[in-house]
Amino acid sequence: MTSSSISLALPVARRRRHLAARWAPVFFLAPSVALLLLFLLYPLLESFHLSLLKWNGLGANGIFTGTDNWVQLLHDTVFWHALGNNLLLGLMSVLVQLPIAMALALMLDKASRGSRILKILYFLPLLFSSVAVGVVFKNILDPNFGPINAGLHALGLDALAQDWLGDKRYALGSVIAVICWQNVPFYMILFLAGLASFPPELHEAATLDRATPATIFWRIKMPHLQGTIRTAAMLSVIGSLRYFDLIYVMTGGGPDGSSEVMATYMYRTVFASFQLGYGSTIASAMFLVVTLIAGFGMRLTRRFETQV
Amino acid sequence: MQSATLLKLLKMPAAACGLAWATWAAPVHAQATETLTEWDIQVQPVPSRIVAEAQARFEKANPQVKVVRSAILNDPYKTKIKIAFGANEPPCVFSSWGGGPLREYVRAGQVTDLSPYLAKDEAFRERFVASSFDTAKTDGKTYGVPAENTSLLVIYYNTELFAKLKLQPPKTWPELLQAVETLKANGVAPFALANKSKWPGSMFYMYLVDRIGGAEVFRKAADRAPGGSFADPAFVEAGKRLQELVKAGAFAQGFNGLDYDIGSSRRLLYSGKAAMTLMGSWEGATIKNENPEFSKKLDFFAFPSLPGGKSATGVVGTVGDNFYSISKACKQPDLAFNLIKAMVDDTSVQARLADNRIVPIKGLKVTEPNQQRLMAMLADSKSVQLWYDQDLPPKLGELHKDLVQSLFALSVTPEEAAQKMETAAKAELH
Repeated sequence: MTSSSISLALPVARRRRHLAARWAPVFFLAPSVALLLLFLLYPLLESFHLSLLKWNGLGANGIFTGTDNWVQLLHDTVFWHALGNNLLLGLMSVLVQLPIAMALALMLDKASRGSRILKILYFLPLLFSSVAVGVVFKNILDPNFGPINAGLHALGLDALAQDWLGDKRYALGSVIAVICWQNVPFYMILFLAGLASFPPELHEAATLDRATPATIFWRIKMPHLQGTIRTAAMLSVIGSLRYFDLIYVMTGGGPDGSSEVMATYMYRTVFASFQLGYGSTIASAMFLVVTLIAGFGMRLTRRFETQV
Repeated sequence: MQSATLLKLLKMPAAACGLAWATWAAPVHAQATETLTEWDIQVQPVPSRIVAEAQARFEKANPQVKVVRSAILNDPYKTKIKIAFGANEPPCVFSSWGGGPLREYVRAGQVTDLSPYLAKDEAFRERFVASSFDTAKTDGKTYGVPAENTSLLVIYYNTELFAKLKLQPPKTWPELLQAVETLKANGVAPFALANKSKWPGSMFYMYLVDRIGGAEVFRKAADRAPGGSFADPAFVEAGKRLQELVKAGAFAQGFNGLDYDIGSSRRLLYSGKAAMTLMGSWEGATIKNENPEFSKKLDFFAFPSLPGGKSATGVVGTVGDNFYSISKACKQPDLAFNLIKAMVDDTSVQARLADNRIVPIKGLKVTEPNQQRLMAMLADSKSVQLWYDQDLPPKLGELHKDLVQSLFALSVTPEEAAQKMETAAKAELH
C-alpha cells in the first residue's frame, strides 16, 4: 500500500515541479515586462497616436488630422536641416571622438604607473552635468570676455578670434567641439577595457618577433579591438541622433536655427509653440530614424563579424 | 482618454503619500478642512516673502483653508504649468503673463471667468488702473488679476561714458545713429544685447514697429482686423531700421549667442565695453542688486522717435506683470478669488512698492524718482504694447522671435520676414 502511494506521489510531485519550472520565468519576468509595456511601449504608441492629431496639449483632445503632420514634416525644412545637423554630429563624433579616445586609451594602457591619476583626470569631463559644462563653455567661448578669444588676441591671431556661438557659421562647430570634449572619456574607458583584455603573451610574442609598436597596434591590437570599436561607433552615432542637453544650454538651437537638432526642435515645438501633435510627429520621426540607422548599423556589424 | 487612466495609475502612490501626510499632519491643522493650491514664479527672497505673508493673512482670516504654495523658477514654470494643464491637474490659483499663452488655457475651457467676481466686487475692480486688465482679457471677459509689477522697456545707459564722450541721451533716430557712431569711434560698443533667448532682440523690433506705425498696426494684424497685416509697411520698415543698426555695428560682438540669463549683456555694461542696453524696467533693480557701484552711473531714457513715425510716446511693456487666475479644476473658486484678493491687498502692494515694484493700483504714491519718471512715461503714453511673444498665440510668438533673430543675423530680408509672419498668421489666426 505504501509503495503504491509513493509511486503515485512521485509523478505528481515531478509534474508539480515541472509546472513550477514552466511558470517560474513568467512570474519572474512579469514585473519587468509590465514595466516595459507601461513605460516603453505605451508612450511609444501614444506618441505615434499623438502624431496624428492637431493638438496644443491642453484640455479636450485634439482633432484627428490623419497624416497631415507627417506630410508637413516631409516639407519642413527646419526638420531636415536639424536631421542633417544630427548626422553631421554623428559623423564628427566617430571621426573625432573615437581616434582621440583610442590615442588616450593606448597611452594610459602603456603608462602603467601614475596612470590612475591621469585616468581620473581624463575621465572628469564625463562626470560634470551637461548643463554645467554648457554654462562654463558659454563663458569660455564668450567673444568679449572668454579666454579663447583673449588668448588668440594675445598671440596676435586677431583674425582667428571669432564669435563662436553667435555666428551661424561657427555655432554648430563650437557645440560639436564641446560635445566631443565631454564624450571622449566614455569611449576612452571603453577602449581601455578592451585593451585590458588583450593577452600579454601576445604582446610578448610579438616583441620577441621584433614587431614594431606600429605593427603591434595595427596588426594585433586593432583586430582585437574591432568589436569594441564597432560598439563605440554605434553608440556614438545613436547618441548623436538623440542629442539635446548641451546644445539646448549653449545655443538653444540658434543662432538663426544654425545649431538646431531634432531634439531641440521637438522641445521648442511642444513646449514653446504649444504644438503637441506636431512635436510628437518630430519625436516619432526621430524614433524611426534612430531605429533605422541602428538596425542598419547592426546588420552591417554582423556581416563584418561573420566575414572576419 | 487612455492617458487619463494612466495618469490616475501614476498618481496612486502620490495620493497614498498625501493621505499619509494628511493623517500625520491632522493634529496640527485640526481646522483646515479645505486646501487651495497656488503656483507662482516669485522665487526671489523679497517677492516670495510678500506672497507668503499675504497667504498667511488669508489663512488666518479663513482658518478652515490651507494654502499649498509652489514658487517655481521662471522658465521651468512655463513647462510645468503647461504639463499640469495638459494632464488636467492644474493648481487652483496660478500666475501667468496674460496674452497668448493664457488665452490657450482659456480657449481650452480650463480657466475661470473672473468677470462676474469683478462685477460683484466693484470696489476691488476699481482699485486697479483700468487698462491693467487688458492683457488678461479674452473675448471681452477677464481671466486674471494684475498683481506684481508694471514693467516698461527703456534704454539704460552708462552716464559716465556719455559724459566723457559729451553725448546726450538721443531723442531721435538720427541722434541715436550719431551716438552709435561716436561710441564706436571711441572703442565702445553702443548696445549690449544677449539675444540667445531671442526676446531681448525682439524688444528693438517691437519698439520700432510701435514708433513707425503706432500701436494699432500690431493690434490690427494680431486681431486680423480689416486692413491689418504683418506684411504692413510698418513691419517691413522696422526690420530695415533694425538691420540698419546691426550694419552700423550698434551691438557688441556675439549678440546672437550671448545669454541674458547668465548676465552676458550686463557684464558688457559693467566692464564699460558697452554703453547702453534696451531692457525692461526690472533691469534697474537687478543691476542695483548685482553691482551697486555701477548702478550709481546708471540712468535711462525712452526709445527715440523715428522720422515720419506715427508714435513718439507709446511704450512697450506690461502694466500688471504677472496675473493671477483661477483654473476651472478648482473646486472652491470663491475661496480662490478671496485668496487672490489677499495677494493684492494694500499690505502686499505697499511691500512691493518698497521693493521697487509698482502694482497698477490707482493713486499709488510713488516717491522714488526713477519710479516717478517711469510712471510719467506711462501716463504720457496712449498705449502699452505687451511683448509680442506673450500677446500672440504661442506658435506665432515663437515664429516672431525666430524671425527677429534671423533679422539680426542679416539672413532674412525685412520683406521676407514680414511676409513669413503674415503667412503664418493667416493660417493660425481666424
